[in-house]
Amino acid sequence: MRSRRNSSVVEPQINSMIENVEKVVVGKRKEIELSFIALLSGGHVLLEDVPGVGKTMLVRAIAKSLGAEFKRIQFTPDLLPSDVTGVSVFNQKTMEFQFRPGPIMANVVLADEINRTSPKTQAALLEALEEGSVTTDGETRELQEPFFVMATQNPIEYGGTYPLPEAQLDRFLFKFKIGYPSKQEELEVLNRVEKGHPIAELEAVISLKDLIQMQKKVVNIYVDETVKRYIINLVNGTRQHHAVYLGASPRASIALMKAAQAYAFMQDRDFVVPDDVKTLAPYALQHRVLLNSDAKLSEMTNERIIKDVIDHVPIPVGNETAK
Amino acid sequence: MKRLAGQRPTSITHFFIYVLAFLLLWEWLRPIPTVSNTGHIDVFIWFAFFSSALIYLRIPIKFIVPCLFLGMLYGLNYIFSRESFFSREGGLETFRLFMSESIYNISLIYMWDLASLTNFFRTLLLFLLLALICYLLYFWIFHTRKIFFFLLSTIIYITVLDTFTAIDASMAIIRIVVIGFFMMTLLHMLKVQEEEKAIKRIKGTYISTAWMYTLIFMILIATSIGYAAPKFDPQWDDPVPTFQRYVLGEGHGSGSVNRVGYGENDELLGGGFIQDHSTVFFAVAEEAAYWRGDSKHEYTGRGWIGEPRLVESESSYVENAIDYYMYRNSVHVEEREVLITMADGVGFNHLFYPGQLTDVDRSLLSFEPIGSSEDNDLPFTFLTDVNGGKISADDNTIVFKEYGLTYDYPKFSLNQLRDSSEDDPDSIRDLYLQLPEDLPERVSNLAEEITSDYDNRYDQVIAVEQYFSRNGYEYRTTDVPTPVEGQDYVDQFLFETQYGYCDNYSTAMAVLLRAVDIPTRWVKGFTAGEELEEVGEGHRYEVKNSNAHSWVEVYFPDVGWVPFEPTQGFTNNVEFYEEEEETVTDIESSEEDRDEQETPEREDLMPLWEEENEDFEPGAASGSGRNTKSGIEWLTTKNVIISIVVLLMVMIFYQKQNRIQNRYFLMKYRILGKDEKFLSAYDRLLWILKNEGLPRGEGETLREYATRVDRVLNSMSMAKLTKTYERMYYGGKEFNGEWEKQRKDWEELVKALNP
Repeated sequence: MRSRRNSSVVEPQINSMIENVEKVVVGKRKEIELSFIALLSGGHVLLEDVPGVGKTMLVRAIAKSLGAEFKRIQFTPDLLPSDVTGVSVFNQKTMEFQFRPGPIMANVVLADEINRTSPKTQAALLEALEEGSVTTDGETRELQEPFFVMATQNPIEYGGTYPLPEAQLDRFLFKFKIGYPSKQEELEVLNRVEKGHPIAELEAVISLKDLIQMQKKVVNIYVDETVKRYIINLVNGTRQHHAVYLGASPRASIALMKAAQAYAFMQDRDFVVPDDVKTLAPYALQHRVLLNSDAKLSEMTNERIIKDVIDHVPIPVGNETAK
Repeated sequence: MKRLAGQRPTSITHFFIYVLAFLLLWEWLRPIPTVSNTGHIDVFIWFAFFSSALIYLRIPIKFIVPCLFLGMLYGLNYIFSRESFFSREGGLETFRLFMSESIYNISLIYMWDLASLTNFFRTLLLFLLLALICYLLYFWIFHTRKIFFFLLSTIIYITVLDTFTAIDASMAIIRIVVIGFFMMTLLHMLKVQEEEKAIKRIKGTYISTAWMYTLIFMILIATSIGYAAPKFDPQWDDPVPTFQRYVLGEGHGSGSVNRVGYGENDELLGGGFIQDHSTVFFAVAEEAAYWRGDSKHEYTGRGWIGEPRLVESESSYVENAIDYYMYRNSVHVEEREVLITMADGVGFNHLFYPGQLTDVDRSLLSFEPIGSSEDNDLPFTFLTDVNGGKISADDNTIVFKEYGLTYDYPKFSLNQLRDSSEDDPDSIRDLYLQLPEDLPERVSNLAEEITSDYDNRYDQVIAVEQYFSRNGYEYRTTDVPTPVEGQDYVDQFLFETQYGYCDNYSTAMAVLLRAVDIPTRWVKGFTAGEELEEVGEGHRYEVKNSNAHSWVEVYFPDVGWVPFEPTQGFTNNVEFYEEEEETVTDIESSEEDRDEQETPEREDLMPLWEEENEDFEPGAASGSGRNTKSGIEWLTTKNVIISIVVLLMVMIFYQKQNRIQNRYFLMKYRILGKDEKFLSAYDRLLWILKNEGLPRGEGETLREYATRVDRVLNSMSMAKLTKTYERMYYGGKEFNGEWEKQRKDWEELVKALNP
């Protein structure tokens, strides 16, 4: 992913959305693009970062640009699953149980500090992520379309956290960090908020209908078999890496392909090239591998493993791979 | 270029190369004082050093110009002013002089009156030139990274100077080779490292120790082998007179007449002559040779006279009845035939023949009486002058018009010539060591001086033969003076004029050799002439009056009379060879043949024949490293040239294999290229790039690779091609005239790989 000046995103609607979000979030072009890729491919994002770097702002800006309903769930240790999904209450007038939707019933959801809550509640959220539906009182309710969750978690070294299990992490399309802004960017942030927060003035750029339209187009982006093979080789590479205890699952392959489709769409291209895959692979794969104990001791990190794999899996070109 | 200019090349390798280039520049300056009347060359060298140092330090232009100007002024002051530069008079005076001179000379330049530019201004211009060259060197090394052209021009410059002027560049060429080797290899190392840097294999340039050790080792070995290896003396004549001969025409002056041609009277040599290109005769022979007419043995101080001793040669020349012997039987000969036809209106009373005449074919002989066009069948006898070798008819009223000759064409063994004894028989000594009483002392002194370094007759002869070309004697046919009364012809040529034509050279050589007791005779005839056409296995030659020539024959007791060619621009037509093994049987059998037909004359001429042969045989039998032709024949000029050409072609092919390959692909895709071929063309391009040392990394995508390739090759084409390729290959798109649109890009890339 490149810096703003030579961004490869040329699809006009996406571009205007990104620019819209950038009015609020300074200098995070890459992260914004990644978020939109996730949005377009129907995936969800896990942000791992310290508080105060603009996670909420990012999500809110995206929601506003879409004119979508935005909800925020602050996860605490005592949060119950029904606090997420909603609960049925007895209506004495109608003498019936009436479902009161929880905060998950929105288009854009910010799940803040997801690793602070108990595994039970986490599971409720993650079911929603994967299935696109929630089940309460034996009744399955469809979530809204589009549905986009941006979860944040504190770096796991912090106390009082329930780390997300591997299977749960797998449900996020991307995991990335936002990181601190540079001094120049921070100055820009100060300048912008000096007279009122710009988020208030943010307006919708496209409608939810447009977004759904785009999501449909993304699915139709052509992925050549050579590129599919490349994706498989990458994912396989993580499974065979010597420092890996558990490699990426086939779900990772699917995720990577869908993300690549969305990225190709954003570049106004109707087919996926290996570059798309290669660019997105670190964000799509690094939270899906488990290091073995040796690697943990030798200060190997997930990032390094993924980089290693990317550097060594050959790109399908010409005669090297049978077409 | 911008990318390069941005880097500040300060690596130690650059510095070394720059120093080496400066040394090469020094080689340019070194010979200047010798070839022109430029003095104070050290000042120029210091100035060149000064400017290259300034340029190397990358001092900003606003400082460098005044610095160089001051340096120039200082140099001018040093050369032209007696005052010190730093005294008030000196520096200012020079500056004033500079101003006035510049104004004056610039006006001269405007008037295009370049010849009258003052020395001061010329010096200034040379300084300017040096500064510019220093910058040029800097540019070549640091920006284009190509120095071969400079090296090549240095070599050409030095060799031309060596050839055409008095400069001896033997050491200079060694220095240049060493410097050049170093420079080229270092530059190559630099290039390789830059490329590796571009593909991020290494971080910076450095002097690789392995590289340096190998380099130094190789250069030392090559230079010392080259230096120590035995070198042949120049195989070709000094080119200067040869060029002049071709430009001005070859010539010969016989007698004191001023028209070139073959004359009988050689008593008064000297004087210039004009060319005469009328034909004398045509000859059909297997190979070119000098046509010998006569020889003279007595030098008078003004010319040559002969004292014919005529022998009647039966009624005719019959098979192998030789009256006049040139070579001993130990000389390897080849029997050949020649047919000589005189041109209309030309006839001689005697024969011209190459090598050793063995037979005259009577059936082919035709002659006519002088003044009549009718063929005459008068019976006549051949008279042979056993001193001079002139073979004429006893009836001096006839001239020969056509005759066929059989002759032995000799090949002299250098070993045999070198090992030949120096016991000349008295009969030889009596005739061929004669010198005039009043021969100036300095002639014999010079002869001693030339030959003193050599211990055998052959090398002494060669030393004298080459003395003229090595000492700047000039070939000239006009303005050659006749010696004044009392002056010796040879003395005049050797010490006063130092120019002349064949008579001067041949006479001088004969006299010099006689002065050191080497029997010599002066021979005249014609050079081989101009080859007109091929006739069967031989060639037809046209011999003109301008081919008239004189040369020298030297006597070797074991060999006989061996021709030598002292005249510059002429080539001795006799073959010499270096032998390795003796072919005893050949010689023995031919000796037996000859012995049977021994004649009194022969004994007379070669009294030591028997004895010598006896001496000769044991040596031969013991195989003391004498001749065989097998090794030598294989090593003919033709074979050598063919092998060199083949070797060169192989080298070029090896060197250029990639280029040739790429040319092939360029052609192939230009002809066969179409849309369907786009993918294969792109794959081929990847292959070529890999071949040229720019391979795609393992996990490198095409776009990343294209960016890198475009950066290295300074182009945009790879990105364009890659985009199309992606559409075809990953996008599964249809072809739509892509090849036509992008062929240019494809070709540009391939060409950029072999600039």
